[in-house]
Amino acid sequence: MTDHLEPLSPLGPDETDDLAGEYVLGTLSAERRDAVEHRLAHDAALRTAVWSWESRLQPYTALAEPVEPTPHLWQRIERSLDHQDGPVSTLPADRSPSRNTLWERLWDSVTVWRGVSFASVLAVAGLAAMLALAPSSAPSSRYLVVLMTPQHTQAGWVVEASSSQQLSLIPVGTFEVPPGKALEFWTKADDWSGPVSLGLVQPGESQQLSLKNLPPLEDNQLFELTLEDATGSPLDRPTGPIQFIGRAVEL
Amino acid sequence: MLGVVIRIVGDRGIAEDIIHDAFVSIWNKAHTFDAQRGSGKTWIFSVTRHLALNHVRTRHREVTVDDDTAERLDAERSQEAATDTQDHFDWLGHGELDRCLGQLAPERRNCLFHAYVDGFSHQEIAARLDRPLGTVKAWIKRSLAALRECLS
Repeated sequence: MTDHLEPLSPLGPDETDDLAGEYVLGTLSAERRDAVEHRLAHDAALRTAVWSWESRLQPYTALAEPVEPTPHLWQRIERSLDHQDGPVSTLPADRSPSRNTLWERLWDSVTVWRGVSFASVLAVAGLAAMLALAPSSAPSSRYLVVLMTPQHTQAGWVVEASSSQQLSLIPVGTFEVPPGKALEFWTKADDWSGPVSLGLVQPGESQQLSLKNLPPLEDNQLFELTLEDATGSPLDRPTGPIQFIGRAVEL
Repeated sequence: MLGVVIRIVGDRGIAEDIIHDAFVSIWNKAHTFDAQRGSGKTWIFSVTRHLALNHVRTRHREVTVDDDTAERLDAERSQEAATDTQDHFDWLGHGELDRCLGQLAPERRNCLFHAYVDGFSHQEIAARLDRPLGTVKAWIKRSLAALRECLS
């Protein structure tokens, strides 16, 4: 095995899969990792192979013993998100040179921003204020969920749980709700018999939810948004198709 | 998540820095379209693990041994070492890969998990198992191929 990877050398299917597997396992040298990461940007076959290995191996991360983070860690993350959201929230009329660059880069990225409304951008920015106002002495159990379309083609929402009983649902894209329909938010822990409704959700709007009538949030808890009638599901379970789905990762 | 990163980088402070950077990165990239991404959970673990792996590989870049040194180390390691029939990881019952992992010899599974969970390099695995570097590299390559075949 060579220690260097030619940036543009073509790889056969097995070579691609070997390289992806070693990259995900973590056995490659710094130089080869760097080469793989550059190659990922334009090699769709390698990207697919990497995601296949990531998906297969991810459950085995549980072999590492859990460690409780200090509350300080989440406060740092909150502060950083607070600062990170600034440029995106700025309207195009208010441009400094650096904002101009970022804004135009995002705006020009048509596949990313097609259909993304200003409302949702501003709603994401609203997180900064919400996080800043959140109590800082909360317990250290924190969760992050990225809700994707069922085919994993696009992230639609992020759930950020500032405690095991409080969570924020923040849109990162838009979703066109057909007339007469509504998005309903559900959650289910591994040992619950069925999902529990957390209510209807307005597309493009952030929402803060209390789970005080539910058991505390736990690792791997399922969250999903389904398309229901305008008044919500008539039953105590989802009746419409899943639009976005994801599982909680404990910090 | 923090436990996964501490296991790889071996230091709580550095691990917390990495979790911080990973979460901020995930937050900022969540809106970007990528049809090749796994589930949201897989993506979160992927971003975080690779930041941790980049950290340990970059830090150890300068102590990477050359081929001559590797050969000398290999010569010192017994080719005849008793086969390790003990699993170092309680791996069963975690994922769909169980069935295929079960077809590998314990020593080869140990190689995979020392890499994936501990973040060990080929050389670190060779030292840990007291096996020649070339053997460990070949085992991992063949194990990945065997898993691929088992899954297909």
